Amino acid sequence: MPIEFKRNQAVLHDVVGVEEAEGLLEWLQSKPAAKVDLARLRHLHTANLQVLMASRPAVSAWPEDRELRAWLEPALKPMP
Amino acid sequence: MNPLLDQFLSESREFSQGIAAKLLQLEDAPSDQGVINELFRLVHTLKGNSGLFTFPEMTRVLHAGEDLLGLVRNGQIAYSRELADRLLEAIDLVMAMCAEIEATEQIGGSWSQEAVRMAESLRALMPAVEAEAKTSIRTPLPAPPVELPPLAGIPEAARLEALRQCHEGETVHWVSYAPAPDCFFQGDDPLYLARQTPSLLWGSARSAEPLPALAELDTYRCLLEFHLLTTASREELDEHFRYVPDQVRITQLAPSWLADPEAALTESEAPKAPAAERASQTARPDQPVEEQLAALDTILTAQFEILQLEDHPDWFAGRLRAVAAVLRNVTRVAGDPNTAGELEAVLGECLAAGQGSLLRLWLEASKEQLISGHAAQLPGASAPVTPSSQRQAEGKAYPEPDVAKAPADEGIKFGRRAEDSPGAPRSLKVDQAKIDRLMNLIGELVVSKNALPYLAQRAETQFGVRELSREIKGEYSTINRIADEMQDAIMQVRMMAVSFVFQRFPRLVRDISRKLGKEVQLVLDGEQTEADKNIVESLADPLIHIVRNSLDHGLETPQVRRACGKPETGTLTIRASQEADRVIIEIVDDGKGIDPAIIKRKAYEKGLIDEAALERIDDRDAVNLIFAAGLSTAEVISDLSGRGVGMDVVRSAVEKINGTVVVESQLGKGTTIRISLPLSMAVTQVMIIESDGQLFGVPMDNVVETVRVPRRSLHHIKQSLTAVLRGRTVPLKALNTLLGISANPKLNSYDELAVLLVQAGGEVVGLLVDGFKETVGLIQKPFGGILSGLSAFSGSALMGDGSVLMILNIREIV
Repeated sequence: MPIEFKRNQAVLHDVVGVEEAEGLLEWLQSKPAAKVDLARLRHLHTANLQVLMASRPAVSAWPEDRELRAWLEPALKPMP
Repeated sequence: MNPLLDQFLSESREFSQGIAAKLLQLEDAPSDQGVINELFRLVHTLKGNSGLFTFPEMTRVLHAGEDLLGLVRNGQIAYSRELADRLLEAIDLVMAMCAEIEATEQIGGSWSQEAVRMAESLRALMPAVEAEAKTSIRTPLPAPPVELPPLAGIPEAARLEALRQCHEGETVHWVSYAPAPDCFFQGDDPLYLARQTPSLLWGSARSAEPLPALAELDTYRCLLEFHLLTTASREELDEHFRYVPDQVRITQLAPSWLADPEAALTESEAPKAPAAERASQTARPDQPVEEQLAALDTILTAQFEILQLEDHPDWFAGRLRAVAAVLRNVTRVAGDPNTAGELEAVLGECLAAGQGSLLRLWLEASKEQLISGHAAQLPGASAPVTPSSQRQAEGKAYPEPDVAKAPADEGIKFGRRAEDSPGAPRSLKVDQAKIDRLMNLIGELVVSKNALPYLAQRAETQFGVRELSREIKGEYSTINRIADEMQDAIMQVRMMAVSFVFQRFPRLVRDISRKLGKEVQLVLDGEQTEADKNIVESLADPLIHIVRNSLDHGLETPQVRRACGKPETGTLTIRASQEADRVIIEIVDDGKGIDPAIIKRKAYEKGLIDEAALERIDDRDAVNLIFAAGLSTAEVISDLSGRGVGMDVVRSAVEKINGTVVVESQLGKGTTIRISLPLSMAVTQVMIIESDGQLFGVPMDNVVETVRVPRRSLHHIKQSLTAVLRGRTVPLKALNTLLGISANPKLNSYDELAVLLVQAGGEVVGLLVDGFKETVGLIQKPFGGILSGLSAFSGSALMGDGSVLMILNIREIV
């Protein structure tokens, strides 16, 4: 599974496809204080990005992939 | 070029012409439902065809056209002249794309924007409700004005990098990509597409509107949009976004735009005061007057130099606008409204004329005025006016982004017609009758050309003028050469690759092997081999029969094959090659082969061979009995083959075009069927023989050899005459007897008989004739009318001296 749901943290790795978005959304809805770990993520489908952008969970680790991090960090940084 | 693409292009051209013709027909009869239906069908087919290739631009235009015609067909919108115009334009666009495909085998990304605009212009004709239903429409015509990129969102580092690249001569593009809301359902991943943008400098994902609360968020609706900054060229970007051209907007940025983020900030939410402060840094009021004036002078001189540069047509407009933008700002600082008006007028003229000399002259004339005007405004002279306040007063305080090739400026250039585009089609379709006529004419030319040697001979023998005779022969050789080349050229026109027939086999083999539960791999070889059109066409049916037979009787089921220790997948090879003036087609399978014993028994049971033959016939000949009429070896008659007609039909079809077919088989190893066909049916090689003072032609295909046999070595076996030739006994028959001529064969001075060994239906027979003449290439004409009942002759041909040569049908007479 590209997403590992732990007690209070979702770990995304490799490539997260469009079919994961629904599950991610449900999980984040049920755990408003959850964190996400993106360290080993290489790509995520736009639908997932959208879910993350809408829920803005705390990010415990940014992707090691610097290019992906450059995309995600501005989009997911906490709202001012 | 790949044959499929080739065919697509030629069909597209045909369809396009058909569509244009139908549209014109509709002008006269706008309500003719039949024509509308036909039109719809043509556009629909063309669209479907284009979908086979990666030509999304073409498909897009045609799809819009199809939708529009669908509405016309259902009577939802009426046919109008405007509609026809748009459709004709669309077809012209498609033709232009075809021309490009023909030249480069692909469509450049540059077409995509035009395709989008064309599709939108077609959809614009549809009723509003209909238009809204189409999700692909985002922006109606006209093309939206170029928006100013929200530069404020770009981080400083990316902006500076872009600026640096810009100064190094790279073009920097701003891409705004707003994916369609339903794009996830089409398998798009916009983030991926954005990440893959070539030469990406910076990119960001943002939501166009605030995202809804989690509970209301629809995961499968794309609400994001992307902004990208890239140094890729316009072509690269068009190519990259070719599947979503209606969702992206690409703007080229000029360095001045990137260099002036403050101006952008004044436009956006940035506070006014700091902007004014920053802006004033460029022209500080406390700067010494001389320094400012010197700077102004430098600026103007630089513009002047720019205008004097050698110019490239593509850059011209952009450069002119850049200069104009600088001058506009200068006039603003100098504060002379008259000068500003003048400038605009001159700029307009320059752009229209396509040259910058006017602007240069104007600059020369007004330079002093500008400087003095500015000097007058400087502090001390009158009330201080800070540039920033002036900016605000005039509202437009930033240099306009210089959009070098703004599509909006050019408007929609649909005025182009397909005929305007260079490069007419390289192939033309010609009615076969016309080629046949050419063929007949060249045949006549060959015949009348052949009369010249006779004429030369007559000149020498009858009139005794050797000089003239030699000259006639000289002329003859020239005409002969030209006629030969011409004949060859016409032959080439009729040539066709056997791939025409081969291309249907992959599907046929797949379907049949599925049905039979067999695993078959088809190998096609030598598809480029060419032969006369008639030959290739008449090859189709026999080949299908053979392939069916091989699949049905030859190749075994996977279980049987495994048991025999063969790979489960059988191989069927169809191979074409050219050998001298014949085309050889081989159909090879690695199946169970043909058992000669079974064939012999069956043939005997069916009365095809007698008991003596049953004993005598060798395995090789026995196998070839499968071509005899009425023999089928399959235990069960399937719906594919097995009715005992197949191979018989094959033989007669092949023989009809002067071909031969033989089969070789190794029991348990496989079967090879070899068909040998003439390259062309037009010219037949014929050997001329003489019998009882008459000349006859025998097709060279039948001739085995010519021998002279001493009379004493002839033997009589019962009533028939025989001779032993090369160790085998050959029956001899006198041609005179066969043709009902009462004369006996003539003997030559050595008491020898001329024997022409001919092959007739697998048997070699010796024909007793009077003499052999030369071999000639003839154009054989079949008999017509009452003569067509003459089975002893296959046709006639005209000889050079005007006489008619009868061609013997050996198979019939022997």
